[in-house]
Amino acid sequence: MSTYYKDADDLYKIYGYFLERVLKDEKIGTKMSKAGIIIKFIYTDPDAEITIDLKNPPAKEGYYGTFYLGPCDLKEDVWSKQPADHSHRFWHGLENPIAGVTKGIIKQGGKVTAMLKLLPVIKPAFKMYPIALKEMGLEHLIVSK
Amino acid sequence: MNGNTGNIADIDLTAGTVTALHLPEETYRRFIGGSGLGAKIFWDRADFSADALSPEALFILMNGPLAGIRLSGASRMSATARSPLTGGLAESSCGGYFAPALRQAGYDGLVITGRAARPSVICIDRDIITIEDAAVLWGKGIGESTAALRDMCGKKSTSLVIGPAGENLVPFACVLNEAHHAFGRCGMGAAMGSKNLKAIVVKDAKRELSLADPDRVKALIKELTPRIREHLISQVLHDFGSSGNLEGHMYSGDVPVKNWTSNFDEEMGNALTGSTLSERFLKKTATCAYCAVACKRIVQVDEGPFAIPEGPGPEYETVVSFGSLLGTSDLAAVCKAGRVCNDLGMDTISAGATIAWAMEAYERGDLTDEHTGGMALRWGDMERVVDSILPMMSSRSGKLGELLSKGSAGAARAIGGSSIDYTAQGKGLEAPMHDPRGCHGHALAYAVSTRGACHVQTAMHFMETGACNYPEIGFEFDLEALTGDKKPETMVLAAAIGCIENSACLCQYADRSLTMQEIADLINAAAGYGYDLREMMDAGMRGYDLKRCINYRLGFTAADDALSPRLLEPARDGDTAGIEVHFEEMKKKFYCLMELDPVKGVPSRRRLVAEGLSEEAERIWPGTS
Repeated sequence: MSTYYKDADDLYKIYGYFLERVLKDEKIGTKMSKAGIIIKFIYTDPDAEITIDLKNPPAKEGYYGTFYLGPCDLKEDVWSKQPADHSHRFWHGLENPIAGVTKGIIKQGGKVTAMLKLLPVIKPAFKMYPIALKEMGLEHLIVSK
Repeated sequence: MNGNTGNIADIDLTAGTVTALHLPEETYRRFIGGSGLGAKIFWDRADFSADALSPEALFILMNGPLAGIRLSGASRMSATARSPLTGGLAESSCGGYFAPALRQAGYDGLVITGRAARPSVICIDRDIITIEDAAVLWGKGIGESTAALRDMCGKKSTSLVIGPAGENLVPFACVLNEAHHAFGRCGMGAAMGSKNLKAIVVKDAKRELSLADPDRVKALIKELTPRIREHLISQVLHDFGSSGNLEGHMYSGDVPVKNWTSNFDEEMGNALTGSTLSERFLKKTATCAYCAVACKRIVQVDEGPFAIPEGPGPEYETVVSFGSLLGTSDLAAVCKAGRVCNDLGMDTISAGATIAWAMEAYERGDLTDEHTGGMALRWGDMERVVDSILPMMSSRSGKLGELLSKGSAGAARAIGGSSIDYTAQGKGLEAPMHDPRGCHGHALAYAVSTRGACHVQTAMHFMETGACNYPEIGFEFDLEALTGDKKPETMVLAAAIGCIENSACLCQYADRSLTMQEIADLINAAAGYGYDLREMMDAGMRGYDLKRCINYRLGFTAADDALSPRLLEPARDGDTAGIEVHFEEMKKKFYCLMELDPVKGVPSRRRLVAEGLSEEAERIWPGTS
């Protein structure tokens, strides 16, 4: 049972709010869009899917990419599957993704090297995630070391 | 004997003789092979008072028990000597093609002593080893020499060659196989040069390997190869080479900039990273023997002052030591500097680090025009590095060439003042291009590495960054990079694992997806050692402890398990800025866990005896019980 998310809808609500900010952020978004790939994040407990399209022109003006909450028809270039709670801690900057892959907590497929290149780019978003939780009134979900 | 051949060629270049050295099978089992067995031979044979460049000095090349099996990363080779650079025990590991060729010719290794009367090459043609004249090659670059040897000995021959730097006894000279794969560190090129030995060539032999359980070896290769190929690290290495994640490393404070005065420069990270190298200069990839990863780069720079024809490209260490460390993001210049340095036969880490130190010294005014012969040393002046400084270092010509050919610590001692404080080295060996202020366990690993500051003599680098996980031996720690927590405990395991890897002569990239049990299974299937996990770990630890004993007899003590002040100054930039590395606490705990004497720096008599090193214990702790 997830420590942080009640269900998939709860997860979508939080990530939707967070990704709105990340994909509008000029510094992060500009660099993310250079990756030119479609990434599918698959979560377990709760089961959920989020797709981030950094390949096609953004659907909305002012954004550097498009995200889809829930299953979508876009064919991903790379996928990553992990427990939702692990992802929650990752976005706080508290999980080493290399160690996650090594230990089998994170499974990946496709152009994993292209996704790896995004890691330094998204690092500033680690500060944005707890802020997003706070803005949503979910301070109790903020994780500290 | 299986896996191993049981044959070691004992070559005296002074007498011009070759005799057979046969060690008991149990000795192989106790020290695995490679660097462990090299250390054992060094212990048994070395004159510990002999200068590193004297005829009495040993130069030992040793295969591991897996050499020649068709598995990625299983056919590296180890060299052992007294380091001309540090004065301590030198070991170096090389990939490429020499190890399987030597095994197929029927040998586990070569023990070389003496000094040939004139420039020579050792030619190995199955059971016949001859010492041939190499005067025609003396003074030639490694590329030209390698090509000439191939013409002389056949297309399928393979060679180990030194360049002008090795001939001129530059203490950080390297040895290259196929002008691409290096025994890079500790000055093995000078060790060969001091023996008037330009090259060692093995002619094509294709002798069948004798394996303890050929079917099991075959099954393991079939099972492990896809996993090695699909591992995240392998994919990054295949796609972008060893500098594939340089950009990411920059953000974590791992990449030194301008002689370690900084460890963050976003623009340099972008400009020097592996994907940029691929986009701009990559022509194709290359491999070591039987490797499915193919991390090697073949590059070409078409135009400009740093144009180079298609040939070997730089690895991560070279990219950083000739890139950000010198204050440049010019990747073409880095490619050329790496190519020139290889051809001259110098370790790119030590060469780059020494030049970086000199640039800072010049900026500070510690190094003056009098030292440099009027040559200005400026950050990022790569034309000067490529066209002037590297050739001067390799030929030891001019005041500046003679000074910098000593390496950073030697040069700093020569000019005096506080310049030693901003060298970046341990035991006199320039640190590799991973900043310990971005991963604190690296500080401990560099300091207690027996060959000097090094990230591949132990497994700490990969353990701390999360690239390996060994629950079967109790390594399940989630390590925080920017603290010393659990680093001494990790270091104990890392010392044993590193010695296993360098003794089995495994590639530390390719073997990352293997469990320790699988490594034991491979060794057992090939060589029939019959290891259980504990015995293999003990063999690794025995090798590490023996190397500490050798260093003690070469004059090193606990005080030498240290780093130059620059490496421990709190970083000034990026995410690691201002964070202190608690080095002494880590070292103290590691010493306690390893039963290391706080003055001598060697294991206790009890520990040595328990490891089966009674004779060694008696020499280190005479008359005690």
